[in-house]
Amino acid sequence: MDIITGFSQGLMVAMQPENLLYCFVGVFLGTFIGVLPGIGSMAAISMLLPLTFYLDPTAAIVMIAGVYYGAEYGGSIASILMNIPGTPSSSITCIDGYPMAREGRAGIALFTSAIASFGGGIIGMVVMAVLAPALATLALNFGPTEYFAVILLGLVAASAVSNGSPVKGVAMVAAGLMLGTVGVDITTGAERFTMGIPEMRDGVHLVIVAMGLFGVGELITSIRANATGAHQNDIDYKKFYPTRAEWKSMFGPIWRGAGIGSFFGALPGTGQTVASAVAYAVEKKVSPNRANFGKGAVEGVAVPESANNSATQTAFIPTLTLGVPGSASMALVIGALMMYGIVPGPRLLVDHADLFWGLVASFLIGNILLLILNIPMIGLWVRLLRIPYKYMYPTIIVLICMGVYSLNNNVFDIWLTLAFGWAGYLMKLFRFEPAPFLIGFVLGPMMEEQLRRAMLLSRGDPTTFLTRPISGTLIVITVLLLAWSIRSALKARRQGRAMPMLSDE
Amino acid sequence: MRDLLLRLRRSEDAARPPHAWLGALGGAALLILAVIFIVGGYELGFGSTRRLGTGAFPVITGFALAVLSLAVIAGDLADKTDLEKPDWISFAAIGGALVVFALTVGRIGLVPGVFLTTITASLPDPALKFPGKVLLGAIVALGCWGLFIEVINLPFKPFMGL
Repeated sequence: MDIITGFSQGLMVAMQPENLLYCFVGVFLGTFIGVLPGIGSMAAISMLLPLTFYLDPTAAIVMIAGVYYGAEYGGSIASILMNIPGTPSSSITCIDGYPMAREGRAGIALFTSAIASFGGGIIGMVVMAVLAPALATLALNFGPTEYFAVILLGLVAASAVSNGSPVKGVAMVAAGLMLGTVGVDITTGAERFTMGIPEMRDGVHLVIVAMGLFGVGELITSIRANATGAHQNDIDYKKFYPTRAEWKSMFGPIWRGAGIGSFFGALPGTGQTVASAVAYAVEKKVSPNRANFGKGAVEGVAVPESANNSATQTAFIPTLTLGVPGSASMALVIGALMMYGIVPGPRLLVDHADLFWGLVASFLIGNILLLILNIPMIGLWVRLLRIPYKYMYPTIIVLICMGVYSLNNNVFDIWLTLAFGWAGYLMKLFRFEPAPFLIGFVLGPMMEEQLRRAMLLSRGDPTTFLTRPISGTLIVITVLLLAWSIRSALKARRQGRAMPMLSDE
Repeated sequence: MRDLLLRLRRSEDAARPPHAWLGALGGAALLILAVIFIVGGYELGFGSTRRLGTGAFPVITGFALAVLSLAVIAGDLADKTDLEKPDWISFAAIGGALVVFALTVGRIGLVPGVFLTTITASLPDPALKFPGKVLLGAIVALGCWGLFIEVINLPFKPFMGL
């Protein structure tokens, strides 16, 4: 199926009333969550997962994707108005967005952010529509050996290029892989590590792990941070429309940001934060207005917003075509698909073409909806920032409980969520990143299956991973990436500075 | 109760942040986990290299985790920095809220269960006075009844044993 036909078919799927509704719900909730500092898109997606069981798979994925990229739009609002990034990747937007707001140009900063996000999102969507089928065609030649190597590379990339110690990141991946083995082994039927508890026979549910680590864990962290009460701001956001010169100055950064964002979004393990940081650094070098960067430059808002939104769209390329998520949010997308019996990988574009192209087309619709939500309705989000957090977090914890309890009507799931929630908080306290743990947990069963198949096909010869050209190359890249990240971490430690914050949800 | 919470919050704020070397405890926990999986995996059977057994993958990942956790312990013991200040009050209150939900929802029903859960969760914030917590609990409980039972039709009982 060519791209034009596929996209036309996708538009018909995405324009179905049910999918339109869930696209709107997704982007609305995503913006809502993005605006609130402290609650990331991961927590929102985790809370929505139980609800998606009642939906058609396309509607469910369209809604989850809407939350994911809607949060990027929403994240910039808190960054610009309060200097508090709603999402990790919008931290770069604070650098110029907040000074613009202090100068009385908050409206123009918000407008620039919305337009740049839209531009980046659309360019990212086009890149995904072009690259994903090509990558899927290439991946059709992959056997279990290559898949094992791709998964290994994805796991190492997601953990090594993350916030903090790469050793801790890889250790969390290994712990996640081990948790993925709990339950009945699908090959032999034997029970593994269930401790004789009947509820553990099916393993630990993805929703419980995600809700515990990211919902409960993040909520505990956010209470003190938001204890000051309502976020007040006396910033004038009514003057919206940029001047002709400002329009001209944002055009180039949007293209450059989208190009850089599309590239980094498609790489497992990097994601939106790296994309916006690199795009900002490049723009600072090439922009004729570089002297004003950090002091309220329009380009400084346009480039990271364009980059992080294009990265959000292209993050779906390895997730859907190879089944390798680059971030924890993408791991949840994979988990959601697998709950419907849909296995992400190159066959997805053939067997579930309507889902893939429907999702691509929904990006266009979702980005248009977000433009509407973020420009004429900006006042709504600003008012939301004024709701005291003391009313919000108890409500969120109840919604988490309800979401988990509705899985099986079993309080055992609540006890497990409590354990993962406390573990998630302690992980953050002791500088262990929970995201690699979740990615390992989701990919563990797949990795084990591919390992078993590869060993069977190679008649027990482990050198098959090195002797086959594609898997051998991928293994070498994995080792080099690991070595590079450890070297960088050691160098940073010697220089007495923390690793740069690179992780995404 | 509010005064006690305020005192606890002030003493927590005044306390020195924990040393980063305490992160080695996390490494030790991972090491224990690795040993459990290695031992459990061997008991399940490794199989052969051609046909990997049920325990092979847990043993392989267990060994990887054991090595990594030793590296984590060594790295954290050498770390001279401080961690972020923990928020044990919120840690306990949010955990308590989940415990209350688990203990009440199947015994007294969704509405009173959610009501008590909301009040428990709101405890760490002294900015919200007790009548406010009760009002918030009532609103959230009634909202959950309306949304989950009346609108979504989930099979929960609003009241039980009352």
